[in-house]
Amino acid sequence: MISFWCRVLLLHQIFTSPACSAVVSPQDPVLLVGSSLTATCTLSPGLQLHTGFLYWTFNGNRLPSSVYHVQGPGALSVTLHNLNGSRQQSGDNLVCHGRKGEVLGGSCLYVGMPPQRPVNLTCWSHNTKDLTCRWSPGGPGEGFIRTRYTLKYKLRWFGQETVCTDYNRGINTCYIPSGLAVFTPYEIWVEATNQLGSASSRVVTLDIIDVVTTDPPPDVQVNRVGILGDQLTVRWRSPPALRDFLFRAKYQIRYRLENSADWKVVENVGNQTSCRLAGLRPGTVYFVQVRCNPVGIYGSRKPGIWSDWSPPMAASTPQSERLQTGSCDAKSGSQTAALRRELKQFLGWVRKHASGCGSVSIKLYDQWRAWLQKSHKTRNQILPGDKS
Amino acid sequence: MSRGKAVCCAQLTLLLAAVVGCVQVPDLSLTLTSERTTIERTYELTKYLEHQLKDIKDTYLSYLGPPFSDPDFSPPRPNSSSLSVPSAATRVELWRGLENGARLAQNQRAYRVLLCAMRELARSTLCPYLQSSLLHFCSGLNGLLGSITGLMRSLGYTPPQLGDVPLPLPGDGQPLLTERPASNEFSRKVEGFWVLRELQSWLWRSAKDFNRLKKRLKA
Repeated sequence: MISFWCRVLLLHQIFTSPACSAVVSPQDPVLLVGSSLTATCTLSPGLQLHTGFLYWTFNGNRLPSSVYHVQGPGALSVTLHNLNGSRQQSGDNLVCHGRKGEVLGGSCLYVGMPPQRPVNLTCWSHNTKDLTCRWSPGGPGEGFIRTRYTLKYKLRWFGQETVCTDYNRGINTCYIPSGLAVFTPYEIWVEATNQLGSASSRVVTLDIIDVVTTDPPPDVQVNRVGILGDQLTVRWRSPPALRDFLFRAKYQIRYRLENSADWKVVENVGNQTSCRLAGLRPGTVYFVQVRCNPVGIYGSRKPGIWSDWSPPMAASTPQSERLQTGSCDAKSGSQTAALRRELKQFLGWVRKHASGCGSVSIKLYDQWRAWLQKSHKTRNQILPGDKS
Repeated sequence: MSRGKAVCCAQLTLLLAAVVGCVQVPDLSLTLTSERTTIERTYELTKYLEHQLKDIKDTYLSYLGPPFSDPDFSPPRPNSSSLSVPSAATRVELWRGLENGARLAQNQRAYRVLLCAMRELARSTLCPYLQSSLLHFCSGLNGLLGSITGLMRSLGYTPPQLGDVPLPLPGDGQPLLTERPASNEFSRKVEGFWVLRELQSWLWRSAKDFNRLKKRLKA
């Protein structure tokens, strides 16, 4: 590590280095992708430097002298052809250097494309209180230079246009917190603007009540159904914010095994706030989630928007000794294990005390069990599948 | 907010709370022990900001793009005549001989100017994530400025106000940075580069200043 005093002296040297000694023009040009540019580095009058010693870099890369042109005793130009989109949104750095590599001057280039019309404008309201809208950029070239998106809206039959101001909820998202009317359609659109042009999305017309979503159902409880190994009951409450308006709301349940990523969805739960899951595996932990769609709220005829899923609740089905329908890895319960031990001891005694029974062993019992399981499976294939 | 950023936020909040809590003790008969504790905590805040600045500087220089992000790049310092950043660099004998009040005043003035410059840097940054990091850093810098100002008051010194005569500068005496924004983007980038460089120097120097202060107060 450099000692303290060395660094003090180093800093002193840095602060006495020469100032910027040339002007590069044009400054801050904005260009279309594929266009060309000629820039000139003009040395300050007092600077004793030959143009033959100057060179250019573009984003740190030295440009070949074949594209340089001497414009006069103190001016050197460079021509760039077929420019690509800017490497960084702060602008490409075109720098004029002296013989020892010192920076004499520079200019930032902004190379991009005019925006195309934003697409996929989608909006949703949380409990009819607010509106969040999201869109996608219309084209790939808009990211090279700064492109501003402005969401605007107005009531369809009243001309007052309002600009959305909160763009902090996510990329290409705007949030309108309040002041929205229901039962009257809004016209909503997005305008994209950058230094090369502007474009406007198609206007979306919607009524707030047709794009309502709500909170996930609270207080989800998952319980066993007595000792039934293949069932669980799920209960929940209606989302409280819209509780008085959810006459035709729909619910969905999804569940999965603890160590599986595959969810099974129960689609047609309807308007009730409880459901019994059947056809489950005994002695197994399940994760369960519920969500709500406030369809039909305030008389809306649209499909509605599903809420997020509730936090997962875990529950386990009771252990069952019966061989299960469709099960291919029936686990031995503790009773079966005890029975097997006893049988082993008995067969050992039989081999000792009963002549002609030398080949009887626990292996024969295991073979019998395997045969039994196989014959059950064959019979069960013709039975109906899961009730879910 | 990422987990790393949340941890950093929590650490900064704790440090700031500790420093501000120390400085805001209402008892007028502060003992030197209390002031040494404040100095120690200000020192720690300085080291923390120095560490944070390393990450932000790398990100900011990437945002500016090459050659600014190249390791050996050093553009000339901007030339202006307006409000300037006093240099952290100083002659050894001058630095050692600084009286406590003057030492603190130099730090206080530097961070006042640098905080303004950093805020302007943040404001003009187009990348939202980087802007948010810069603003977060500014709040830490503001805390440092507050603790230095508070320390000056508790030791009986009057913090310098805006408009005071600038401190002597090394070299040709030209001021380093201007409050007036540069007229083109390349010049703004060079200015931004120098703001971060200057801030790095000051944070590194302040750690030495506070160590010296602590030793002097012990004596």
